[in-house]
Amino acid sequence: MGNPLRDPQDRRLPRIPEPCALVIFGVTGDLARKKLLPAVYDLANRGLLPPGFVVLGFARRDWDHGTFEQMAYEHAKAHARTPWREEVWARLAGNLKFVGGAFDDDAAFDTLDRTLDELRDTHGIGGNAAFYFSIPPAAFPTVLKQLARTGMADNEKCGGWRRVVVEKPFGTDLSSAKALNDLVDDVFTGQDVFRIDHYLGKETVQNIMALRFANSLFEPVWNSKYVDSVQITMAEDVGIGTRAGFYDATGTARDVLQNHLLQLLALVAMEEPTSFDASEIRAEKLKVLRAISLPKDIHEGSVRGQYLQGWVAGERAKGYLDEEGVPEDSTTETYVAVRLGIQNRRWAGVPFYIRAGKRLPRRVTEVAVLFKKAPHLPFNPTDVEALGHNQLVIRVQPDEGVVLKFGSKVPGTTMELRDIAMDFQYGEAFTEQSPEAYERLVLDVLIGDRTLFPDAAEVEQSWQVIDPMEEAWQGTKPEPYRSGEWGPRAADEMLAREGRHWRRA
Amino acid sequence: MIGLWDTTGNEVVKALAAERRSAGGVASGMALSLIVVVDEKRVREAEAAATIATSQHPCRLLMVVRSDFERPINRLDAEIVVGGRLGPCEAVVMRMYGRLALHAESVVMPLLVPDVPVVTWWHGEPPELIANDFLGVVADRRITDTGQADDRISALRQRAADYAPGDTDLAWTRITPWRTLLAGAFDTLDTKVTGATIVAPASDPTAALMSGWLAARLGIQPRLEATADFPRMRSVSLQCANGEVLTLTREDSMATFARTGHAERNLPLVRRPTGEELAEELRRLDSDQIYAEALSAYAGVSDLDGRPHKRVHIWKDPVLASRTPVATPAPAPAASTPEGGSTDG
Repeated sequence: MGNPLRDPQDRRLPRIPEPCALVIFGVTGDLARKKLLPAVYDLANRGLLPPGFVVLGFARRDWDHGTFEQMAYEHAKAHARTPWREEVWARLAGNLKFVGGAFDDDAAFDTLDRTLDELRDTHGIGGNAAFYFSIPPAAFPTVLKQLARTGMADNEKCGGWRRVVVEKPFGTDLSSAKALNDLVDDVFTGQDVFRIDHYLGKETVQNIMALRFANSLFEPVWNSKYVDSVQITMAEDVGIGTRAGFYDATGTARDVLQNHLLQLLALVAMEEPTSFDASEIRAEKLKVLRAISLPKDIHEGSVRGQYLQGWVAGERAKGYLDEEGVPEDSTTETYVAVRLGIQNRRWAGVPFYIRAGKRLPRRVTEVAVLFKKAPHLPFNPTDVEALGHNQLVIRVQPDEGVVLKFGSKVPGTTMELRDIAMDFQYGEAFTEQSPEAYERLVLDVLIGDRTLFPDAAEVEQSWQVIDPMEEAWQGTKPEPYRSGEWGPRAADEMLAREGRHWRRA
Repeated sequence: MIGLWDTTGNEVVKALAAERRSAGGVASGMALSLIVVVDEKRVREAEAAATIATSQHPCRLLMVVRSDFERPINRLDAEIVVGGRLGPCEAVVMRMYGRLALHAESVVMPLLVPDVPVVTWWHGEPPELIANDFLGVVADRRITDTGQADDRISALRQRAADYAPGDTDLAWTRITPWRTLLAGAFDTLDTKVTGATIVAPASDPTAALMSGWLAARLGIQPRLEATADFPRMRSVSLQCANGEVLTLTREDSMATFARTGHAERNLPLVRRPTGEELAEELRRLDSDQIYAEALSAYAGVSDLDGRPHKRVHIWKDPVLASRTPVATPAPAPAASTPEGGSTDG
């Protein structure tokens, strides 16, 4: 029986999950402290949590519920996005529980299982629980086996839903991703697995679909007839920080290209889904991921880079090889640029230039669609010298928004033309700040909305793009670039060979 | 900030353009114009609310203070604020005196952002007929607040009589948190509700709308139990067919949720400042059918949603009305009769 008090037209009433528990493995980690616990507070503050809701922390600590609650209080208060209100916290207090133990400790997982059963009655959470894996991938199999052994992952046995949330990296190549997917899908059912790509929780990323499919202005020119090329940039000004061990084994291509950037590409390039249903959107994304073609000669169509020492944002930055924990002879890339193609009628012949890197001049993520120049310019050639490609830029972060760049006459007595930018910023037109990506995604997991989560097939298909590149790069050394520069010279040359240049993002 | 004393509408338009230009970097991403109709003594209150609302919905804020209709001299004073004190918005606070105050739209219309929605909010006693106020006629969304009326219940009934799609009332906005908690309680319930009891002060329009909403959604006739002990709505309880009773009771900024056979639960039920309520209103710019249903169920006026969206302005001169107190002009069916210039002032 549907809820008679809810009506799709009643949009004042927020979407609220069913009563449930959020079980966080690795609750003492960075992600849990800085993102997940604050996100729970923010959701509570916005009134988006059900009456029966429990956060159940799991970590190797000798804590009682009170200690955990205190720790959660401090971190939620320090990192919450929305204003702090004690009465909101008071509602969460008493609903934060902790189970201590190691991942291979059978007794600890038995306790966890028992606790979930008890909470069913004491806190009215029903049989519903989402397990959030905020842990290193190496620990996944152990925890999954524990969940399978205790039957905690079994929807039927629990009389509710049991969902699992995994963070990237989803494997390190196709075969490891497949093994991981098989394992997760084996313990949980495929549709209960939520892979978090936090980029997809960002407003602008969702706005790509609105921009493309709700307007009649852009779709007619969204193809190889009008589009010259597409540039997708994800630049970070920070270095690898304390993640040397992870990063050196991973590299930029596996870290961000495989997930964030290919997902952005899929959203920009996919065909219109039949409906906004999760499975329809996934089907279209998968189709376009399958159509991706690699450069014929990977060495010519891709560039890897590694940062040297330099200056970023007024501060001295260490070179990658000098970072603590990085081997002196490391050949891991901190920058990658690649020219991809999409083999379908819409995009044949349009290059998709994708770049990502650390220690670049500023933090920015954007998708720029560069349109072809006008076939004929009835102006004096000197008047149009400053005229570039028309561009539509979707800025993902920071300052989420959309920029349209086109030529215009410079006021004055001569017919001089120059590019100008029409800038739409979310913050300016709608709201000061949109919800943090994790807030949105945690809520979607609890509600069971899979729209913003890539599925196993997409993850595997993305590895099919990355694997041949990694193979070709075996034994090569990345090009050096100074910290605070827009990547190695070779990346500029790669575009220059085709008569193009990178947009200064 | 620019202050313009004894000025004209055109001067205000020019000064706003100049101020935008000198503020620099002000792009034209304005998504709406908000007209606030307010009396002099409540301007500060309205500004405080608008500051909160505009921080969530940047807009062009046009605050209109009208007074002294009988004054022989017309006068317009305007204050222009771009960014700063009133949050991320472009604000024009206008004070109009004399006969000009009856033609506020002549100053306001050129200041509206082209082709984006217009919202008008009356901070004070709601107008009897919105059609009498051109600032309401021009708006796509109209927000009244029956909570501020002298006789709040009859003001609410008047809102039903005068309703057009696109109207809402802050008394309705005020119960969104209540409705959220009630709907949340229902998610786990699969039994029929047979009755409801609402405990609230007799003159509380929010309780009236709550009863209308429950009646419309559940097909029951909720009982309103008047209380003098609490200043605001105190509790809502629902009786189910299987004998269970769900009760939601407000205690300060918390609500206690009790259900037969379950432990009591405390949930936040925070009273929001007016600005937050206004911000909720600005989130949706289409008509609120659920409000129409609740209002219609409470006031017993049917087919509110079928009424035309656009009102036609009906000229009404408050000066003449006060001179002839016996006159009861039936709402003129004809189009507006604009005041002739020769008889003016």
